[in-house]
Amino acid sequence: MLELLLQNLVNGILMGCVYALVALGLALQFGVMDIINFAHGEFVMIAMYLVFWISLYLAIPGSLTSLIVAPIYFVFGLVVYKLVIDRIVGTYPLAQIAATIGLMVLLRNLALAAWRAQPRGLQYEVLRGSVTLGPVVVPISRLTAALVSVGTMLALHWFLTHTRLGLALRATSDDMQAASLLGINVRRMFALAFGLGCAIIGIAAAFIMTFQQVNPESGLTWGLISWIIVVMAGLGGVSGVLLSGLILGMVEALEITFWDPRASLAVMYSLFILILWVKPRGLFGRR
Amino acid sequence: MRALEVQNLNVAYGKVQVLWDVSFHVEEGESVCIIGPNGAGKTTTLHTVSGILTPLSGRITFYGEDVTGLPAWELAERGMSLVPEGRRIFPNLTVLENLMAASYMRRCRDSFEENLEMVFDLFPRLKERRDQVARTLSGGEAQMLAIARAMITNPRLLMLDEPSMGLAPILVSKVFRSIQRLRERGVTILLVEQHVPVALRVSDRAYVLENGRIVLSGTSEEVASNKKVREHYLGI
Ligand SMILES: Nc1ncnc2c1ncn2[C@@H]1O[C@H](COP(=O)(O)OP(=O)(O)O)[C@@H](O)[C@H]1O
Ligand SMILES: [Mg+2]
Repeated sequence: MLELLLQNLVNGILMGCVYALVALGLALQFGVMDIINFAHGEFVMIAMYLVFWISLYLAIPGSLTSLIVAPIYFVFGLVVYKLVIDRIVGTYPLAQIAATIGLMVLLRNLALAAWRAQPRGLQYEVLRGSVTLGPVVVPISRLTAALVSVGTMLALHWFLTHTRLGLALRATSDDMQAASLLGINVRRMFALAFGLGCAIIGIAAAFIMTFQQVNPESGLTWGLISWIIVVMAGLGGVSGVLLSGLILGMVEALEITFWDPRASLAVMYSLFILILWVKPRGLFGRR
Repeated sequence: MRALEVQNLNVAYGKVQVLWDVSFHVEEGESVCIIGPNGAGKTTTLHTVSGILTPLSGRITFYGEDVTGLPAWELAERGMSLVPEGRRIFPNLTVLENLMAASYMRRCRDSFEENLEMVFDLFPRLKERRDQVARTLSGGEAQMLAIARAMITNPRLLMLDEPSMGLAPILVSKVFRSIQRLRERGVTILLVEQHVPVALRVSDRAYVLENGRIVLSGTSEEVASNKKVREHYLGI
């Protein structure tokens, strides 16, 4: 029992890092432009398909496709921003919800029509095997995914705290009107935040595919996980997102150990409601 | 040269019009104030001039160029700077980061170090607190930061919206002393205030705005000696 718990906790910590990375894109977009993209999970799902197809046709490992999918997804983010998000920032919340839920349904149905419900997994991946640490077996794929996640988060944190553009993004996030009065083109900042958020999804998707399959419904889980983490983290910056991801990963590990793996989404959702009850501004939020 | 010329400005929020035919101007190097009671439309005027709001009609000319309807960030590029009502400093950035964010524009980058020294000289308090997160500043310090932030942008017109709001009397005079110092440095100033006596003291000319209309204008002495102004605003 103890060994199982230890094994699940290690898995939970590794998955928690990946959850945090997926949520980071959403957190960045929400932080800068106060908009919740309900299609976030579907963006992850489409990116996972992209990883699958690129890996298949170019015959390269799925993990390596991150170098291609991230820039493609950055541009994808800019396009979605221009076509949809630019129209709805700063308007009624209802219009924002309707527009992004519409996008969610659209992408999910397109995926169903194009690829059917059959799950797809990578044919070719170099991140195989596992390392054994005492009683715990750590799959190389998950370990790499976790390390890349933490690395990407550190890189974003560095960008936000050490560059002129990052500072302008944080200023916009704090007060967009005051930022615009200092000559910061806030619409450009919104587009940048949206593109960066999507590029992060692209990186995450490539490494998720090294240990998971994708189907048109995959977006639901990733969306839910991301919303929960963003609510947990509040507007607490990159570290808040990472901590929230780790908490979620470990809660899932405990749930799997002591109850039923099939209930893990239900337990996560309950956690989400609990946090809304006790700390509606998030565990790590500053405002 | 005329820094700012505002002609026949009409502004509405949705269907409710709040500014009617508002006209005024500011010469380069001049210090001008707009005074008037709460709800008169002072903030609306500054928001329209600085591009946050778009007027129904009217014309805004900045150093000879028609800038009506340009977005705020573009007007900032051209040298307009507004210290907004309620300060609006970036709460989660440090004092220094607030000032660095103000040097985002290309034309402000080279002068940043020099301007930083200038504002630290003007407000030594900010220098002491440079690494402190801005949300922990007191009201007076926050107002100094808001003014300093605007000064980093090398403004060709500095607009201040009720810098005395919410400050203890001792801090009000401190803030106005710094405005006076800026004026002496030749900064072109458009000040909006409810705190009329001090506002008139740091201005060359004044306009009185009531119910969305300019009802009186003149040199600060003329306005200060007006019978109605004395009764309503100066309490004499
Ligand atoms: N965002 C807004 N929406 C609708 N009405 C507004 C808004 N802001 C201000 N007003 C109204 O416009 C009028 C002028 O307000 P304002 O410009 O803030 O006055 P002042 O700055 O002189 O106190 C007031 O009647 C106020 O209620
Ligand atoms: Mg006002």
